Amino acid sequence: MMRGKLLKWSRVLLAALFFLPILLLFVDFVDLIPDKLSRLLHLQLVSALLAGMFGIVVLQLVLALVFGRMYCSVLCPAGVLQDILNRLYCIGKKKKKGSRRFSYHKPMNRLRYGLLIATAGFAVFGFTGLLMLLDPYSNFGRIAANLFRPVVMWGNNIAADALMKMDNYSLYHVTVTTVTTSGLIAGGLALLLFAVMVALRGRLFCNTLCPVGSFLGLISRYSLFRVSFKESDCIQCRKCEFSCKAEAIDAKKMTVDTSRCVACFNCLGTCSKDALTFSRKPSRKSIRSATGQAMPVDAFAVNNPNGRRHFLATTAAIAGSVPVASVLAESIGVGKSKEEIKKWPPVTPPGSLSVERFKDKCTACHICVVQCPSHVLRPAGMEHGFGYLLRPQMAYIDSYCNYECTVCSEVCPTGAIKPLTKEEKKTTQIGIARFMIDLCIVKTEKTDCGACSEHCPTQAVHMVPYEGTLTIPNVIEDLCVGCGGCESICPVRPVRAIIVESNKTHAFIELPDEEEVKEVRVDDFGF
Amino acid sequence: MKRRDFLKTGVLAGAAVSLNFEGLQAALSSNTIAVEKAPDLVAVMGGEPGVMLDKALEALGGIGNYIKKGQKVVIKPNVGWDRTPELAGNTNPDLIKALVKKCIDAGASKVTVFDHTCDNWQKCYESSGIASAVKEAGGIMMPGHDEKYYKDVDLPGGKSLKSAKIHEALLEADAWINVPVLKNHGGAKLSCAMKNYMGIVWDRRVFHQNDLQQCIADICTWTKKPVLNIVDAYRMMHQNGPQGKSLADVATLKSMIVSPNIVAVDTAALGLFNQVKKLEIDAVGHIAKGEEFKLGTTNLGKLTIRRIRI
Repeated sequence: MMRGKLLKWSRVLLAALFFLPILLLFVDFVDLIPDKLSRLLHLQLVSALLAGMFGIVVLQLVLALVFGRMYCSVLCPAGVLQDILNRLYCIGKKKKKGSRRFSYHKPMNRLRYGLLIATAGFAVFGFTGLLMLLDPYSNFGRIAANLFRPVVMWGNNIAADALMKMDNYSLYHVTVTTVTTSGLIAGGLALLLFAVMVALRGRLFCNTLCPVGSFLGLISRYSLFRVSFKESDCIQCRKCEFSCKAEAIDAKKMTVDTSRCVACFNCLGTCSKDALTFSRKPSRKSIRSATGQAMPVDAFAVNNPNGRRHFLATTAAIAGSVPVASVLAESIGVGKSKEEIKKWPPVTPPGSLSVERFKDKCTACHICVVQCPSHVLRPAGMEHGFGYLLRPQMAYIDSYCNYECTVCSEVCPTGAIKPLTKEEKKTTQIGIARFMIDLCIVKTEKTDCGACSEHCPTQAVHMVPYEGTLTIPNVIEDLCVGCGGCESICPVRPVRAIIVESNKTHAFIELPDEEEVKEVRVDDFGF
Repeated sequence: MKRRDFLKTGVLAGAAVSLNFEGLQAALSSNTIAVEKAPDLVAVMGGEPGVMLDKALEALGGIGNYIKKGQKVVIKPNVGWDRTPELAGNTNPDLIKALVKKCIDAGASKVTVFDHTCDNWQKCYESSGIASAVKEAGGIMMPGHDEKYYKDVDLPGGKSLKSAKIHEALLEADAWINVPVLKNHGGAKLSCAMKNYMGIVWDRRVFHQNDLQQCIADICTWTKKPVLNIVDAYRMMHQNGPQGKSLADVATLKSMIVSPNIVAVDTAALGLFNQVKKLEIDAVGHIAKGEEFKLGTTNLGKLTIRRIRI
């Protein structure tokens, strides 16, 4: 039991080491956490796959092959969040209703492998909607970005107001601007789903809906180290089964379903007889040589040979339907865009290269949304169709993209926003400002304005002589990077007089020649 | 001889001679006193910001004439842009540092500095060098990026703008000093002391919607006037303002103009601006509108101006 507890608490410690920095990355609104820490996110399996970081993918596969689904208990923030929810659920409850409320259930292979294949299949054919909805890390991101973060910010405001009375401005007031309705609903639903599933059946999400869990399950089935029974020591108290949140232990048959076991070691910690071990799987030889009384260690696989068969069968069935489904998905997309043909596509962040590419690669984890210092990235609703749902877009409502900033491209774990140097950023044109002179205040009110030009970092929007002493904006397209400075500040309502039209595929402009610095000598005040 | 010293000797002399106050009055209104009177406007050229500030304040009779012991003081520079000091998008940090020190030395109970920036406020505060300058000098750098920090104020004297949300540091202040940087401005044409008021309000959109030039003059009618306007023209952005693109937009004038008279200080600053780039006063509509509101005069000939070269 002592060894079991040690293993369990090591797992908890490791999980905390990964979970806390990731959580902080999402709720940190004052930019305390260095952006480099976001490299931790590259360990996420779906992100690594999308980013083409195959080294990390292989590492995860090897880990799963050696230790089982430790990923789900340590690296996956959604998994750890579920464990925390489970802990919260257990507060004030007796063990029987709390931490030992679980019991063995059969795996839902058709569902989990079906979903896995559907998710992967659609993703391969360029429809990543399902992946976006099911990826555990992205769901965690949406919960943290849209729910936890605002709560932390409100807490900060209360503290900041108190400090302000003492002339201390080390904390300052912040306004939640990046949470959109869609983001709030997505975060809320995900948290609710996790909470309900955890309360009812523990890690049910991880063993039914989660594509990462199902995928790792296919490997952990053969893992080298695994939890197994020392049958001679088991007294059939079933504490291990009741404490298994993956509901993978069948104590009566003394089997552990390693495809569902998330290697949390809670069972080892509860077994008072040390009848459970986490150890190397005996070789086939030793299984063969085992006496009839002793069940083979991977008895589950022997008793339940259906898992692999299910997987193969479902693969075949879904593979057959993929072309149909992808055609279907495409036609839905076309229908939508025809309806909204007049609407400009979303402006995507610099580094995303094109709307299509961004849509395919982004799983809407919202790390860019929370890390953007200008708060200009906001999750989309249905305005650009389901294909763009929850993906961040440049919303020039009250802020714009800082000319020198490359933060979103540095933190994106999937490579949906490719890393940019400052130089590259300044020459990437994500859209072009469209000036509608008939709406402009200088024309309609005959008064000075120039707010757009004021905010233009490249002076692509500059003021040219108009009537009398008035000047009016003019746009040099080849200088415009589409940062939205002009649009964000244009005072005209309801429709602004200058709006950035997105480049569906980003263009590249040349940096204007450096103007020569002329020596100016002034000796007289001039008055 | 300083004004106060002169008056003291005058009073003593008057009392000693005849104890006749009529004589003193006559003396006060005589020409000799008009010459010794503190100037209405001081212009300095050729020094570093801190040195020029010293000279200007000395000519005006010392900071003590404007900042009293125990007062809560606000200094309002222009920190609008994420730009380094060399690019002249913001008020010179050395000037702000020297001024904060002066106010503290004059006995101010606290000196607060803020601006409602255009770019991200933290980047502006940092890149401009102003946040660190204020800290080093012992002042408080206050945020101004959230509506929370602004409170409604009526502007009965305004034409287009009848009320505005003004930063609470100013509402609580006993005295404030307006410290703009002189520069070209795409919308208002010139950005100086009056234009710098746009950084004390929350909602600037209404300015642009309702006749920018008029609203700038309107906000300047707020009853709590700055005790001094100190125009930083050490470096001046003469084109592509107010943000600027490169060093080619900047001329080094090593100048400073100081006056409590906001219209006069802007008129004089426009004169200095014209040494580099042509700009008609009619184009800078808010200056004339400010004069209409009797906020000051554009007729510099009527004022006592002290010009100091270092």
